[in-house]
Amino acid sequence: MFRTYSVLRNLSRQCNRRLLMQRENPASSVACGYKSHVSIDQLYPSSNPDFLRKKTEFQNEEQTLEKFEGFIPVDQLEISASRSSGPGGQHVNKVNSKVEMRFHLQTASWIPDWIKPRLLQQEHGRVTKDGFFVVRSDMTRKQMLNQADCLNKLRNMIYKASELPPEPTDEEIQLKQKRMAKAKAGVLREKRNRSLIKQNRTSPEF
Amino acid sequence: MASKVTEQALNLIKAMPRVALNNIKPLPYTAFKKKVNRQGNRKKKGRGDKGQGARGTWDPLGYEGGQHPLIDTSPRERYYAQYAVRRQYPPVSLLELQRLIDLNRVDVSRPIDITSICNTGLYSFHISKNHFGVNLTDEGCDQFAAKINLEVQWTSELVIAAIEKNGGTITTRYYDPPCLAALYDPLTFFKKGQPIPKCKVPPQDTLAYYSDPNFRGYLADPEKVLEAREKLAQKYGYKLPDLKDDPVKEMLLMRKDPLQIFYGLEPGWVVNLTEKCILKPKDEDYLRYYHTAY
Repeated sequence: MFRTYSVLRNLSRQCNRRLLMQRENPASSVACGYKSHVSIDQLYPSSNPDFLRKKTEFQNEEQTLEKFEGFIPVDQLEISASRSSGPGGQHVNKVNSKVEMRFHLQTASWIPDWIKPRLLQQEHGRVTKDGFFVVRSDMTRKQMLNQADCLNKLRNMIYKASELPPEPTDEEIQLKQKRMAKAKAGVLREKRNRSLIKQNRTSPEF
Repeated sequence: MASKVTEQALNLIKAMPRVALNNIKPLPYTAFKKKVNRQGNRKKKGRGDKGQGARGTWDPLGYEGGQHPLIDTSPRERYYAQYAVRRQYPPVSLLELQRLIDLNRVDVSRPIDITSICNTGLYSFHISKNHFGVNLTDEGCDQFAAKINLEVQWTSELVIAAIEKNGGTITTRYYDPPCLAALYDPLTFFKKGQPIPKCKVPPQDTLAYYSDPNFRGYLADPEKVLEAREKLAQKYGYKLPDLKDDPVKEMLLMRKDPLQIFYGLEPGWVVNLTEKCILKPKDEDYLRYYHTAY
């Protein structure tokens, strides 16, 4: 049955060499050149297998912002954890699961300038005297989830503040003009009618 | 071009004698069996005299003369529906994993897979109980602080965030039961002298999960995994580390091929522990078999 296999007796020497290599560089000894017909480079030939590289287009800090895309630079926020409130026994008493996030609103470069006054107006209760915007969350038992909740809230607030009323379409403009004209015509009709009534009250001129 | 196996089979047939009545015999189950327990007098067909029994008008089983039957009083609860087919993934929490790492029970300088976790002796699974691997749960996600290359069978988004936050990588990977048997105890498997099996493609209902970049499936597109990492970092509020000059980057990127089950060993190889050598197939049929999924 194994007549077709070749016995490589000198592999014991290679095994020892491999053991030596393991101590020096674990990565190279564990890596294998085996590639089947369903390997990742066969399934996705145009994709770069290095998914740990930095994607340069995603975080562009020098870009002048016209619209909020949803990106929040986490290192520009001051994140602190404290103990949560509510029931939960020893866990809630001891573990810092509440997350507070704050940043200075006016100096935040990642929010477009035209959104800042609108945000301030909308969430004036969240801003301190020094101008720090504060978001807190103790919704869950886990700090990571509370932090995600804070970011979610913040993102939603900024999106809401950046909502502009939609521009009227041509149909809407025409409809409004028609209605205004109709209302104006009605007013004029009433005026003329009233004027006639008043004229009829005076004596006729011959 | 006929392959070696086909040639051998044909040669075998050529060498054999001609098929004749003196060198064939019928299959065992075709032997004539005397019919036992048959009726002599078939008049009443074993139904007795007259009545419902003879006329076949008995009420169905469970019928209670019109009263609501006992079997229908409570609703149907399919607790055991498809129990033999449903896959189970015994859990390991992030807290347990951190403890294993802190106590040096797993080597952080190498990729951690199901074999590493089973080798600690503190985790086990049973293929007979429909266990299909490790389910990494999110308990202890706030305390987890280890940079590892992890391979599990099932996990959630929060766990992926906790591991990537610390600069590590995680992959979800499917193994079929024969491969799991080899992975659970590689030493016992190598002693058997069997060739390393190739891993099967996941079943249809899990193929979507293992191709999903959001769950870091081993069959997912690496470009989409990169995007998913960035999105998750934005969702959970952490910064992805720059691993350009990191010496551990090569180890973190290490992945097994979809048909491969052991790092550094190919399917089809036979590991001989006594002579400390590996036997590799040379025949093109074998090589084709061990390099394809079908």
